[in-house]
Amino acid sequence: MDYEFPNNLKYTLTHEWVRIEDKQATAGISDYAQHQLGDIVFVELPEIGMVFEKGSNVAEIESVKAVGDFIMPLSGEIIVINENLANNPELINSFPFESGWIIKIKFSHPSEIDELLSAEEYMEIIRNEEH
Amino acid sequence: MNTNSTDNRKTPLYKTHLNLGARMVSFAGWMMPVQYQSIIKEHETVRSKAGVFDISHMGEFILEGKEVIEFLQYIMINDLNLLEPSKGQYSCMCYENGTVVDDLVYYEENPNRFRMIVNASNIEKDLKWLKEHIGKKDVKITDFSKKRTRLAFQGPKTDEMLQPLVDVDLSKINRFYFAHCFIKNNPVFLARTGYTGEKGFEISFENTYAKDIWKDFVETGAMPTGLGARDSLRLEACYSLYGHEISDSITPVEAGLSWLVKPKEGIDYIGKKVLLKQKSEGTERILVGLNLIDKGIIRENYKIFKDGNEIGFVTSGGYSPTLKKTIGLGLVKKHYNEIGTELEIEIRNKLLKAKVVPIPFYRNV
Repeated sequence: MDYEFPNNLKYTLTHEWVRIEDKQATAGISDYAQHQLGDIVFVELPEIGMVFEKGSNVAEIESVKAVGDFIMPLSGEIIVINENLANNPELINSFPFESGWIIKIKFSHPSEIDELLSAEEYMEIIRNEEH
Repeated sequence: MNTNSTDNRKTPLYKTHLNLGARMVSFAGWMMPVQYQSIIKEHETVRSKAGVFDISHMGEFILEGKEVIEFLQYIMINDLNLLEPSKGQYSCMCYENGTVVDDLVYYEENPNRFRMIVNASNIEKDLKWLKEHIGKKDVKITDFSKKRTRLAFQGPKTDEMLQPLVDVDLSKINRFYFAHCFIKNNPVFLARTGYTGEKGFEISFENTYAKDIWKDFVETGAMPTGLGARDSLRLEACYSLYGHEISDSITPVEAGLSWLVKPKEGIDYIGKKVLLKQKSEGTERILVGLNLIDKGIIRENYKIFKDGNEIGFVTSGGYSPTLKKTIGLGLVKKHYNEIGTELEIEIRNKLLKAKVVPIPFYRNV
């Protein structure tokens, strides 16, 4: 399978992507992850203002067949959630890196950014998972 | 995700599925396509036009002998007196306590020869159960599961799409009847049965014809459809799935299949005593249809509550592509099965509102 791995994004081993924008970050699930889940029909999002450690399970992404966890890629506060997903959860399938984003985080530990994977590193991991 | 398990069996169409871009999953010991592109798209195409499914993982036995009918009358809860040659019947075989060994369909080729289609996950158990109970009866069982391929062709346009390929008049085959016929030059067993809630056929033939017949079917315009849509289609139609609505701990009467439990005067079939009692007196648990009122998705084994008390569990649940809402089936304590009853279902430690609704959710047959 060919998946998209935009170069300007960072990734996690749990298949989230992160776009760093000064002191905040936007995050969603990777193209690979949305393919694995299939048709997404419901997203359970966290509340704005909640603060989580990196690695916390903060959202649930439900497809027809399966439930996927969304793991906090950086420690910090949830400052925006993608309200559009309530009525259009399939945006995650169609545009995982654009209108299918999930949350915006005001991150508290900038040093954690260095622990995220580059597009190349993440692509290599997916290749190995596929074979 | 492990998609390369070597322990699993492959149907004759395994490579065909891979070439179509299917996502393969391990199911009942087989590598099967769960979806090709999209479960929702496949589901909607079966509801509006037609889809073709590889169901070769299911079991297929031939039972032959002078006492086949007598044997089946003893081991099945449905009544074979309602059957005739060229007709099939849905039934369950049960344990003495009324719970289910398997649900299945058998077809009467002639009074001495029956074809039986069983659940993939129960093939070995069924064979053992059947053989254990033959005793001295003149019945021989042959397992053709691995030698034959089974496909389902399902959807409202099935008849017009399939007719040009076959040498029989499909309009003469009524629901649950079957014919032996040819698809192009290949001999097949073709029955008007299905598991989707749509018109359609289930077809069985020797493995050697698998690629040809699959190709013939796909060329009619029917969409290759995976097990994902097979499950969402059957859930909307409220057909029981072994291990969910019925199992070795749930009886057919509890699962809303009392109509299968027949009096069969003078025949002391396995499970009869318990099942007839349950049918006349009712059961402590009853299967209900569920709609989730709050937003979310319900899945099997989620707990069901009423006023803080646990009163049952979800047997199957999910998103309905046809109704565009969350539906489910659940086994609840009696008195909570009235249509309109409001219940709560626990999803990840939260209680969400649900309601008992009439079933099936959707059927077009």
